[in-house]
Amino acid sequence: MATVAELLDQGVKSYTRGDSAEAERLWLQALEIDPKNERVRAYLRQVRGERPGQAAGADRARPERPEPGFAPSPWDAGPASSPTVLVEEGAGLDLGAIAEKSDIRPLVADQRPPSRPPPAGDVATWMEGARELFALGDFSGSLEMIERILRVDPTHAEARAYLRQNESTLVAMYESKLGSLATRPRLAIHPEEVLWLNLDHRAGFLLAQIDGAVSYEDLFALSGLPRLDTARILASLVAEGVIR
Amino acid sequence: MNENEPFIGIDLGTTNSVVATVIDGVPRVIASRTGQTLTPSVVAVARNGKRLVGHMAKRQSITNAENTAYAAKRLIGRRWGAPEVEDARKVLPYDLVPGPEGNDIRAMLGGRAFSIPEVSALVLAELKADAEAFFGRRVTKAVITVPAYFNDGQRKATKDAGRIAGLEVVRIINEPTSAALAYGFGKQMEKKVVVFDLGGGTFDVSILDVGKSVYDVIAVGGDTYLGGEDFDRRVIDWLVFSFAQEHEAIDLRQDKMALQRLRDAAEHAKIELSEGRQSAIHLPFLASGPEGKAALHLDRQLSREKLEDLTQDLVDKTISVADRTLRDAGVRTSQIGEVLLVGGMTRMPRVQQAVKSYFGREPSRGVHPEEVVALGAAIQAHALLHPQKGKEVLLLDVTPQNLGIMVVGGYFATIIPRNTTVPTSQSHMFSTVQDDQTAVRIAVLQGASDKAMENELLGEFVLDGIRPARRGEVEIEVTFDISADGIVGVSARDSATGTRQSITVTATSGLTETEMRRILEENLDEMLTRRQVGDFERLRDRTRAVIAEIESLSPAVKEALARSRFGKDAVLRAEDVVGRARNAIAAQDLQQMIAVEEQLDRALQLFKGLAGGTPPGGKGP
Repeated sequence: MATVAELLDQGVKSYTRGDSAEAERLWLQALEIDPKNERVRAYLRQVRGERPGQAAGADRARPERPEPGFAPSPWDAGPASSPTVLVEEGAGLDLGAIAEKSDIRPLVADQRPPSRPPPAGDVATWMEGARELFALGDFSGSLEMIERILRVDPTHAEARAYLRQNESTLVAMYESKLGSLATRPRLAIHPEEVLWLNLDHRAGFLLAQIDGAVSYEDLFALSGLPRLDTARILASLVAEGVIR
Repeated sequence: MNENEPFIGIDLGTTNSVVATVIDGVPRVIASRTGQTLTPSVVAVARNGKRLVGHMAKRQSITNAENTAYAAKRLIGRRWGAPEVEDARKVLPYDLVPGPEGNDIRAMLGGRAFSIPEVSALVLAELKADAEAFFGRRVTKAVITVPAYFNDGQRKATKDAGRIAGLEVVRIINEPTSAALAYGFGKQMEKKVVVFDLGGGTFDVSILDVGKSVYDVIAVGGDTYLGGEDFDRRVIDWLVFSFAQEHEAIDLRQDKMALQRLRDAAEHAKIELSEGRQSAIHLPFLASGPEGKAALHLDRQLSREKLEDLTQDLVDKTISVADRTLRDAGVRTSQIGEVLLVGGMTRMPRVQQAVKSYFGREPSRGVHPEEVVALGAAIQAHALLHPQKGKEVLLLDVTPQNLGIMVVGGYFATIIPRNTTVPTSQSHMFSTVQDDQTAVRIAVLQGASDKAMENELLGEFVLDGIRPARRGEVEIEVTFDISADGIVGVSARDSATGTRQSITVTATSGLTETEMRRILEENLDEMLTRRQVGDFERLRDRTRAVIAEIESLSPAVKEALARSRFGKDAVLRAEDVVGRARNAIAAQDLQQMIAVEEQLDRALQLFKGLAGGTPPGGKGP
C-alpha cells in the first residue's frame, strides 16, 4: 500500500499533468491514512479552490506543452515514481545530508506544512509544489515543476536557484548509483535482449557506446547530452540490470 | 645516449595514427592502452570541457562536430588563405581562424584557438603515452612520417608538434619511403616500387626508385579528398535512404546521435566485409518514433557485392589517379617491380583486384597495410639511434623539394634538386636580361613545378648596384646553402664588382618561439590540472563509498540508539560531516573533501561501533 508521502507525491504529479481529479483522489486517499496531515489538506483546498468553472482551469492546468529538447523518455518519470530519498520526519541520514548539500538551505521549505495560503497563479503554485517536492526528496518532481516555471518566466530567481540545486543533487544521486566513475561498464544482458528493453533513442545512443572500453566519465564526455540526462540514463540502465 | 633508451616510429596520419618500435630486431606496432593499434587522429573538447583524443574524440565527432578537430594534417604548416586551406574550410565542421600573425591557422575548439601543431601534438602525446605504458618508462625520441609532397614548412610544423608533445623528432621521413623500408627490411630490393596508399581521408600514389640504401621518391600523385571515409559515406547514404523508405519522412541525417551511430556502424561493416561476405548492421533504438511512439530500430544486411556496387566509382577513381601519376612520370606499369599496398582501404578485396588488374601483378601483402608506414619509421628510428654497421638502411636527411629561383619568363630554375643530402651548398651563374640593368630581384622558391607561380615563395630580395653593361654580360652568382638544421641561406653576388646581397629562409610552422614557449607552459599547467582532476576523482569515489557504508549502517545505528540515551549528538555530528562531504562532491571542491576525509572516516568508525553494539566513545569488545 502506498504511503502518505507517495500518495502526496503522485497527487502533485497528477496535478501538474493537469489531472486535478486524479490528484484529488490521491490526496483524499492520503487523508484517509493520515486525517491530520495539514499538507494534504492544504493541497486539497488548493485543488478544490481551482475547480469551479473548470474548463478554463483545466486549460490552465494543461498548458500547451512547449517543444521538449528531446523526445519524451519513458524514464523521465521513472526515478520520481519511487523517490530515492524517503525519510520519516525528524529521522534518517539522507534528509539531513541532502539539506546540508543544498547550499541554498535558506530557500528550502522546512518540514512543516505551509503556514500561509498558496500564492495565486500557476507559477506560484508550481513554485510551492517544487519546494514541497524538494523537501520530500523528490528532486525529479521538483525539477519538473521548476522547468515549467522557467518556460513561463525564465528569469524567476528562486526557480533558477532550485533548478541548480535540483540538478546538482540529482546528478550527485544518479552518479552515486554508478559507483566509481572510472569504472568501465559492460552490457549485462545478451545483445539480442537489448531489443526487448524500453529505451528512447538517447538511451539507445548511450548504450551503443558501452563496450567495456569507455568509463562512465568518458560517457559523460562523449554523450553530448546534459550531465543530468546522461547520469539519469546510466543510473536507470544500471538499476534495470542492463549494464554493470 | 643510453643504449636501452626506447624509441618510436610514428605514422601521423590524416585519419588514423600508429606508433611502432623495434624489439629484439623485430619491428612491431605498439597497441594503445585500450588495446587498439590505430589511434584516430581526432581531438575534441567535449561539452563538459574535457579534452578527448583518439577513439573517444572520434566517437563524438558528429554529435559534437563543431568542437572536434580531425584531418589537421590537411592544415599543418599551411598558410591562412592558401587554396588547400580554403578547400578544407569548406568541408571541416570546426571553425578555422587566422593566427595572431595572420599567416597561419588556428582551430577553434571549446572556445579556445589551437594552433594546428598543438592539435597534432595532442595526437602525438597520446601515442607517446601509449608507448610509455608499453615500455614502462619515458619515451622521448621519435621518427615521424609525412607525405612525400610536404614542404619544409609542413615538416617543420610536424616537428614542432612533436616538440609540444614532449618528443625529440630525430628525423622526418617520407611515408612511401617508410613503407618501402618496412617491406625492404632484410631484403635487397633494387627496383621501381609503387606505393598505393588509400587511407581514411587521402589517396597517395608514389613511385620510388629503390636501390641498396637508396629510396628516391621520383613521382607523387593522388587525391587529397579520396579515402575510406568516402566509402563509409556511401554505406551511410544507403542506410539512410532505405530507413527513410521504411519509415516515411524520417531522415536520420538530421539526427546527430543517429548519424554518429550510422557512421560507426558503416565503418565497422565495411571492415567486416574485407573478410566476410555479409555484415549485419543492427542499431536498436536508433531514432525516436513519430509522435512520441517507441524508438525505431535499424536492421540491415550488407553484402560485399552491395558494398562494391555502392563504391565502384571510387575504386575506379583510384586507378585513374594512379594511371595519371604513372603517365606524368613517364613510367609504364611493366617497369614497376613491386606494388605496395598501404592504408586500411587497400584491405578491400575489390581495391586489391583493381590494383592487380591495372598493374598486371599481385600487390605485396607481406605487411599489414595500416601499420607498414609506422613500422618503417620504427626501423629508421632504430637505425638512427642504435646503428649496427652495414646491417640497416640509414636514410639521410634530404631536401624534400626542389629549391631555386624565378627566372625570366616566370620559370623556375632549380639550384638544389629534391633529395639532395643536407647540409649542402650549391651555386649557379645567371646573367642580366636587359641592357644597363642595375638591379635584379631574386625570388627564392620551393616546389616541383617548372612554373615559378606554382611553387611556394620562401622569400625574396633585391641585388642592386650592379655594374651597367649590355644584357648577358654581367654574371650573377646565386648560391644556396642549407645547414644541417634545414636553414636555407641564399646569396647573390655580382662577380665583377663583388656586390652581394643575401637572405636567410627558415622553415616556419607559423608558431613563433614565444608562442611555442607559452604552449609548452600551458601543457605543463594542463598536466597538473589533469593530475588534480585525477586526485579529485579518486577521493570523490572513496568519499562516496564511505558515505554509502555509513548509510547502510544507519538503520542498525538508529535501532541501537533507540535503546540508548547516549550517542545522539555524535550521530548528528556524523550526519553533518556526511552532508559536508556531499557538498564538497557537488561543488567539486577537492580541498573541502580533503578537509572532511578524516572526520568522515571517524564517522564511519562510530557507526560501525554503534551498529556493532558498542556505545560511542566506548571500547569495543
